[in-house]
Order: sequence, then structure tokens, then C-alpha cells
Amino acid sequence: MSASDDELITVGRDLLGREAMYLDEKRWDEWLALYAPDCEYWVPTWTAEGNLTTSPQTELSLIYYTARGALEDRIVRIRSGRSPAALPLPRTTHIVSNILPLEPPQRDRIRLRSSWACHTFFPLMDVNHTFFGRAEYDLARRDGGWVIAKKKTILENDRIPLPIDIYCL
Amino acid sequence: MALQPARFYVDDRPDDGVFRVHRDVYSDPEIFELEMKYIFERTWNFLTIESQLPKPNDYITAYIGRTPVVVSRDAKGNICAFLNTCRHKGATVCRFEKGNSKYHICLYHGWAYDSAGKNISIKQREVADYPAAFDAENHDLIPLAKLATYKGLIFGSLSPDVPPLDEHLGDLKFFIDLHMDQGPQGMEIIPGRVAYTYRGNWKMQLENGQDPYHVDTAHGSFMAIAERRRKGQGNVAARELDWQKRNDVRIGSYEFANGHSSVWHDVAEPERRAVHATFDEVKSRVGELRAEWMIKQRNAVFFPNLQIADQIVPILRTFRPIEPGLTELRSNVLGPIGEPPHLRAARLRQFEDFVNPGGYATPDDVTVFADCQVGFQSAGVDFLQGYSRGIGAMERGANEEARAAELHPLASVKGHRTQNNELGTHAPFREWVRLMDAGMTGKKAYE
Repeated sequence: MSASDDELITVGRDLLGREAMYLDEKRWDEWLALYAPDCEYWVPTWTAEGNLTTSPQTELSLIYYTARGALEDRIVRIRSGRSPAALPLPRTTHIVSNILPLEPPQRDRIRLRSSWACHTFFPLMDVNHTFFGRAEYDLARRDGGWVIAKKKTILENDRIPLPIDIYCL
Repeated sequence: MALQPARFYVDDRPDDGVFRVHRDVYSDPEIFELEMKYIFERTWNFLTIESQLPKPNDYITAYIGRTPVVVSRDAKGNICAFLNTCRHKGATVCRFEKGNSKYHICLYHGWAYDSAGKNISIKQREVADYPAAFDAENHDLIPLAKLATYKGLIFGSLSPDVPPLDEHLGDLKFFIDLHMDQGPQGMEIIPGRVAYTYRGNWKMQLENGQDPYHVDTAHGSFMAIAERRRKGQGNVAARELDWQKRNDVRIGSYEFANGHSSVWHDVAEPERRAVHATFDEVKSRVGELRAEWMIKQRNAVFFPNLQIADQIVPILRTFRPIEPGLTELRSNVLGPIGEPPHLRAARLRQFEDFVNPGGYATPDDVTVFADCQVGFQSAGVDFLQGYSRGIGAMERGANEEARAAELHPLASVKGHRTQNNELGTHAPFREWVRLMDAGMTGKKAYE
């Protein structure tokens, strides 16, 4: 891999780190700004046979959005103070690791994969839970900066014991 | 509190306008044990739908209360069901939720069964020096005492002493028809597992589906989102109903025999309902009245383990009690077999946005259930007050809408949306008392 490839991957790795930080620090506007207006945000389900679903058009997803506006809905909900699932707001720490390129980076496009764990504390029930999985990112260069054009989050422990939201994935 | 007779727990005095339920029914471990024994294990339970088992040797695993079950299509193509527990040492013989296998082989000692549950191998039998008494025993997996289907829904009972399924369902068949007749070739479960647990009693989800009263508080944050979507912002692809437009709709409930009930709402925006896209075809097949009923939002209870819900899109949601304060839910999302791709995608987006663990309603529901479960531990307080809204407007028997649909409910109620009646909880609790009382006093569940 060339030096410029390494530089691009470093840019991508930095963006993934910032996403985790913004979620954990509840810096919602900065988190939203990481996403392209026409982004795809997808959390597939697993099938009963134990395979990951492959098409959000024909199979169920836990979350499937095709616009940043849909992510903004999530933030509106959190900020409304009227969602019992977010009162009090769970506290999270994301650990993001094993960030590797899925293919050689291009000038305007970087594809990365990561492994993630989100340690989540639910003050309401006084319980901790770790959601974990892997993720695939398509980063795009837009207007001189890098944004998330696509994110596919795979939740490995999908028998869900506590509410899930964008902040614990 | 020491265990009381079943009737104590539901203070049901229709002549005085009283219906109250004791908090212990949600939290007492002794009551939970008796519910497993006298309710789940002595009546019909929903298992799955036939289209999950299209080919010989297809199977799914399920539960009746705490009992693990395999529902299978045997090699000859017949639907059968048996307990998922090896006759030898009790291990489950099928570990997967769904699949296809000619044989179910216990991983402990290798006893093998065919897809009808028949024992086909006891490892090293010929050299085992088994006594004649062992050879005289049956070694097959235990078949469910009763198995029957209606409109592709498969139901089973661990007890043989249950009424015929058709009679047991009664008018609930109307609500099953409204789900299963939405597609010209029938309905299928859309792939994708939705399985989640909540820290509350199994009856809380059952009641919540019959409880329109919670919607604008528990899901109040959705009001702000609906406001955005009205302006074309946010996840408009979900095409959820605009809550502001609901203000003038009517709401109603029916109480049926055998613990079943249903709540319904009129819909101000029929064009947003999934069935609307094929409404002409549906109407020509099922008639105007039933097609109009498909447009209404509905949530019917099959007591004790299923919600036949179509608040957003048609789903079959099962409850599996694990502990008094722990329940597993699974949502099976239905779509017409052969549905055009753009309509299938729209159906998925509508479901995912709301009654999904990653949606806008379910996470709120499960956290308020946990609040209730904490509150139930309180000393010095006995009966809850959440079952009385609408009693003043209740009619014995069928009301106008029920008569038009040829339904025969035990009681009917309707009113403006804000009446938010709680009467859909009465039928399940009356059946709860009946079955618990029968069990606790040594009587059969059905005479």
C-alpha cells in the first residue's frame, strides 16, 4: 500500500473514532454532520436460520434509513425528553478496533471495516449490557471533507434484552 | 401474601362497574408457576404458520410456556409437532430455530429421530443388554397432544382436553382472516428475526396491545417526529400515520369467549395502510366489509400467547414467559406471497420505524414495563386501577359494527379515540381466572 493509501486510511480511522466519541459524549449535531445527506444507515437482522439478511428491500432490518433526515429523527426523539427509553439517557462507551480497508482506498472513496463493542449502562434498570459486532463504512469525499455515505452495522448479539438506539450501536 | 383462590386476584363485579386486577398476578413466582401449569400447559398455543414449512423435513422450534417444541413437516409432507426433548436423558434434539433435516439427532448420546419424531436409532442398542421392559417402551419423541391449523396458523396443545380449535377460536377467526386474506396467494413471514426480551411479566405486552391509552404518553416523543414528517422532513419513507389526523377517529373493543379480545381504530389516512395498495383486488376477493376492516388498525389477542396485530402492518407477535418479570417477544412480520418488490420494501420500512426494537415505539414500551415490574414490588398496595375506562359505554353482546360483521362478542364498546377504553383486558383476565381456578380446585380446564 502506498503512503497516500496509508494517509487515506488514517483519515478514515480518525472519522470512525470521532463517530464513537460524538455518540459517547452526546455531541449529536457533530455526529449528524459526519453523515452525508443521502447516507444509507443499515442494521440488518439475522434470519431464523442464523444468517445475516442481505437485502433491506426484501428482508427485515433492525434499522434501515436512506437519508440523514431519518437520523435526525432519532436525535429529535432523544432531545424531546419524552421517550421513556431514553430517560435517563443510557451512558455508553464505544470501543472501535480492527479497522481495516475493505479494498484499496480511492481518492474520493474509502471503504473500511471495524469491530465494535458498546458498553452501555442503563441507569433506569441499573444494568450494564455490551452490544457488539462489526461495521462496514463507505466514506466519501464531499466538498473537500470526508463523510459517511454508507454504514452497515452488524449486531452480533441480536437477542435484544434492552432498548437499542443509534447511541448503543 | 399467601396464595389465594384465583377469583381473589381479579375483582370482577360487572353489576357494580368494578374490574380490578391484583398486582401479584404480575410478580408472584408461585402464581407464575401455576400459570405455566394451568394456562399454558392446558390450552391451545400458537406455534407458527404453515408457510414457514414449505418442504418435507422443514422444521421450526418454538415453546409452549416453558416446554420446547419442534414443529416439523415430515418426509410425507404432513405437519407434526413434538416435544424437543430426547427420551434418553432429556436434552433438546434440535438446537436451531429453523431449518431442514431428515433427522434430529441428540448430540449427547446420539439417539436419532426422523422428521416425524419417530425414534430410528438408539446407539449401540444391540450390545446394550437392555432389559425386555426397555424394549417394550416407546422411544419416539412425544407428540403434542393436539395440533390443528386455521388459515395456515398452526396451534398446539400439551393437553388433550381442549375444545376443537375451530370452536376455541370462535370469532377470533374473523381477525385471523383479516390478516391472512390480505394476499391473493396467502401470507408469508418475511425473513429476519425480531427477538427481544423485557423485564416485565408476559401479560404486560398482552395488555399493552389492548391499551390505546398509553400511546400518546409512552410514545409521546413520536409526536415531535410526526410534526417533522408532516413538513416532509425525517424518515418519510416509513409513511407512518399522521397522529394529528387521528384526532377524530373512533375506537372500539370486543370481548370474546376463551380469553380472546380485540381493539380497533378507524383510520383517517387509509392510503397509508399497506393493504390499500392492492385494495381493489382485496375487495373483490373478500368483499367490501372485510376489506374496510383490513384498513382499520386492529390488535387482537389470542389467549395466552399471541397478538394478531395490525397497528402498523400485519404481524403475529408471540409472548414467551421466562420468569415472572422476564418475557421474550418475537414479531413475525407478514406480507402477501408474491408481493411486488416496491410494496414489500414499503411494508418493511413502516414496520421497522415503529414496532421494532430499533423503532420508535417498542423501546418505550419495554422500559415502561420494567417500571411497572419495579412498582409491583411495593408493599401496602393491592389492586391496580387500569381496567375501567369505557365500562360506562359498554354494551352486552354485539354492537352495530359487530352485528354488521356477524361477530358475536360477549361485550362491545366504542367511542371517540380519546375514550381509550381498557376493556380489551377483561376477556383475557376472565379466562385467566377460569383456567387458574379450574387448575387450583382440581377441575379439568374444559368440561
